[in-house]
Amino acid sequence: MKEESREKRIKKPSGDTLSALVMVGPVTLIMVLLVAVPLIYVAVMSFCSIDEYYNVIPRFTPENYERLLDADYLKIYARSVFIAFITTVLCILIGYPFSYVIARTASRKKKILYMLVIIPFWTNSLIRIYGWRSFLGSSGWLNSLLISLHIVSEPIELLYKNGTTILGMTYCLIPFMILPMYTAIEKLDGSLLEASSDLGAKPAATFFEVILPLTSSGIFSGSLMVFIPCLGYFFVSDILGGGNSDMIGNLIERQFQSGNNWPLGAALSIVLIVLTLVLVKLYQKLGGDMDALGV
Amino acid sequence: MMKKLVSVMTSILMVSMLLCGCGGSKAKNGELNVFIWTEYVSESAIKAFEDEYGIKVNVSTYSSNEDMLSKLKSESEGTYDVLLPSDYAVEYLIAQDKLEKIDRQVMTNLSCISDAYLDQPYDPGNEYSVPYEGGVACIAVNTAKVDKEITGYADLFDPALAGQEVVLDDNRAVIGMTARSMGYSMNETDRAKLAEIQDKLLTLKENVKLYDSDSPKSALISGDCTVGMIWSAEVALAMDENPDIKIVYPKEGAYVFLDNWVVPKGAKNYDNAMKFINYMLSPEAAKMNIADFPYLCPNSEALAQMGDEYVSNTAKNVPADVISGGEFVKYLDPDTLAVYDEMWTKLKE
Repeated sequence: MKEESREKRIKKPSGDTLSALVMVGPVTLIMVLLVAVPLIYVAVMSFCSIDEYYNVIPRFTPENYERLLDADYLKIYARSVFIAFITTVLCILIGYPFSYVIARTASRKKKILYMLVIIPFWTNSLIRIYGWRSFLGSSGWLNSLLISLHIVSEPIELLYKNGTTILGMTYCLIPFMILPMYTAIEKLDGSLLEASSDLGAKPAATFFEVILPLTSSGIFSGSLMVFIPCLGYFFVSDILGGGNSDMIGNLIERQFQSGNNWPLGAALSIVLIVLTLVLVKLYQKLGGDMDALGV
Repeated sequence: MMKKLVSVMTSILMVSMLLCGCGGSKAKNGELNVFIWTEYVSESAIKAFEDEYGIKVNVSTYSSNEDMLSKLKSESEGTYDVLLPSDYAVEYLIAQDKLEKIDRQVMTNLSCISDAYLDQPYDPGNEYSVPYEGGVACIAVNTAKVDKEITGYADLFDPALAGQEVVLDDNRAVIGMTARSMGYSMNETDRAKLAEIQDKLLTLKENVKLYDSDSPKSALISGDCTVGMIWSAEVALAMDENPDIKIVYPKEGAYVFLDNWVVPKGAKNYDNAMKFINYMLSPEAAKMNIADFPYLCPNSEALAQMGDEYVSNTAKNVPADVISGGEFVKYLDPDTLAVYDEMWTKLKE
C-alpha cells in the first residue's frame, strides 16, 4: 500500500506542488502581509505629500528626503549612533564575562544563571525603565541609601542625562548580547584550551589567540542585536534621559504625533531601515553567520 | 490533576457566564462606543450611566488629540459614537465635516454649564460640541526650594533656574508659552516673529531638566524638579502631596484648553450618544468627574454643590479671569506647523 501511494505521488507532480503550496503558502502569505506590504506602504508613503488638513495625499514629492539632510537631523543621527555604539561596547564588556561564566559552570547552577537573564524579560520593559527612574531619583532608593550612610549630604543628580539613557539602554538590551555570546562560548571545545596551555600559552594569550577568535561570531551577532534596537528605543531616552536629547526613534514618533507629517516620518523610518541593512551587510562581509542572529 | 482541571474549567465557565449576564442586563438598550482621553473621565460616572440607562458603554482611550485624529482616520466610519477632543481639534473636525450636530432637545443639562464656556470661537453657537472639562498650562513652584518670586512665563527663562524645570513634552505648549512671554500670540504665523521666538526658546534649553506630559507632577513631588510648566490639575494633585508647592497663573495670560463632547459623522448609536453626553453634563456626573480628575469644571451647578474647600482651591477651580485672559491653541497650516516642529527639534537636539 505504502509503496503504491509513494509511486502515485511521484507520478503526479501536481499533487506534490499542491502539498508544497499548502505547506509553504501560509508562511509566504504571512510574510507578504506582515513584512512586504507594510514595507512597501512605508516606502510609498515616504514620497507622498500632505494636504492642508495633514491628510496624506498621493502626490509625488522628493521633499521629505531633502529635509532629512537638515543639520539638526544630522546631529540627532550622530548622537543616536554614538549612544548605540557606547551601549554596544558596554554590553560586550559586561556581557562577555557573564556569558563565559554561565557557559562554563555546572549544569544546575547554569540553569539558575540562565534564568536570571531571562526572567526580567517577562516584565514589560517600560515598567522596568520606570523602576530605574524611581530608583535613581532625588528621593529614590539609591540616594536615600547614600544619605543614610553619610556618603553624600545632598542627593546626587543621576537622572535625565545622556549617561542615564545609556544605562537604561544597556540594561534593556544586554540579554540580546548575552544569549548569542553564550551559545558561541558553549560550543567552544574545552580540549582546545587544554591544548593551548599544554603548548605553553599563558592564560592571556589563550584568551586572545584561541577563545576570542572562536567566539567572535557571538560577539558580532550580539552587537548587531543590541546596536539596531538601540537606535529605535525612544522611550528609554524619553523616560530616563528626560526627553532632553532626541534619538532617531523620537524623531520618527514625533512626525506621527505632534508634527503631523506622516510622509516625513515614513522617510525617517526608511533611513533607519537602510542603516540597518547596511549594518547587516557589513556583518555578513565580516564573516558573520545569519543563523546566529535568529532571523 | 483531573479534578484540578475540572475545577479550573468550571470557574472559567462561571466567570464567563457572569460576564455575559452583566453584559446582557446592561445592554438591554443597546451599546455605546466612546473614545476619550485617558485618566480624564471617572469610571464611576460611566458605570452610573450604564446602570441608569441600561446602555453598555465600551471605552477606548487616547493620550493626545493627534493620536485620536489618526485613529479616527484609519478606522471605518461608525467605529466610535462619542469623542472628547480639545478646542483646536474640534475646529479641525468641523472644518473637515467630520461631526454630527448636537441635538439640543436632548441636552437638557446644558443649562448647568456656565455661559463663560459656551459659544467659543472654535464652535460658535455650540452646534457640534458641548464642553466637558478644561485647564490651563500654568506654573508650579516649590517655594521651599526656590527663593525667586515667579509671576509669569518670562520668569521660567531666568538662568538662575538652570536644570530645575519640568515642562510639558508638547511643542505647542512650550513654544506658545515662549511666545506669550514676549507678548506674542501662541498661534503666531509671522516668520520674522517666529525667528525671534526661536532665539528665546533656545535659552530655555539649559533650564529644562525633564520634558514630561504623562505625569509631570511626579518630578515635582519627588523633588527632582522645583519649577514646572504643567497642567493645572497636575499642580492641584502635586499640592495635595506637598504643601510647599504653589500654583502661579502667568501674568502674560495662560495657555488654556477646553475639551468637548462631540459625535463623529456616521455614528451608529447617535441617540445613545446624546443620552450619554447629556448625562455627563449633569451635576451628579460632573461631581464624580472632578472628584477624580480636578480639572477646570464648566458645570456651575456641580461647583455650587462641591463645597467651599473645592471652590476656594484656585488650582482645582481655575479663576474665571484666567480663562478669559488666556489663549487657545489653534490649528496651523502645515507649513507653519513644520516651522514649529523645526524649532522643537532644535530645542531637543
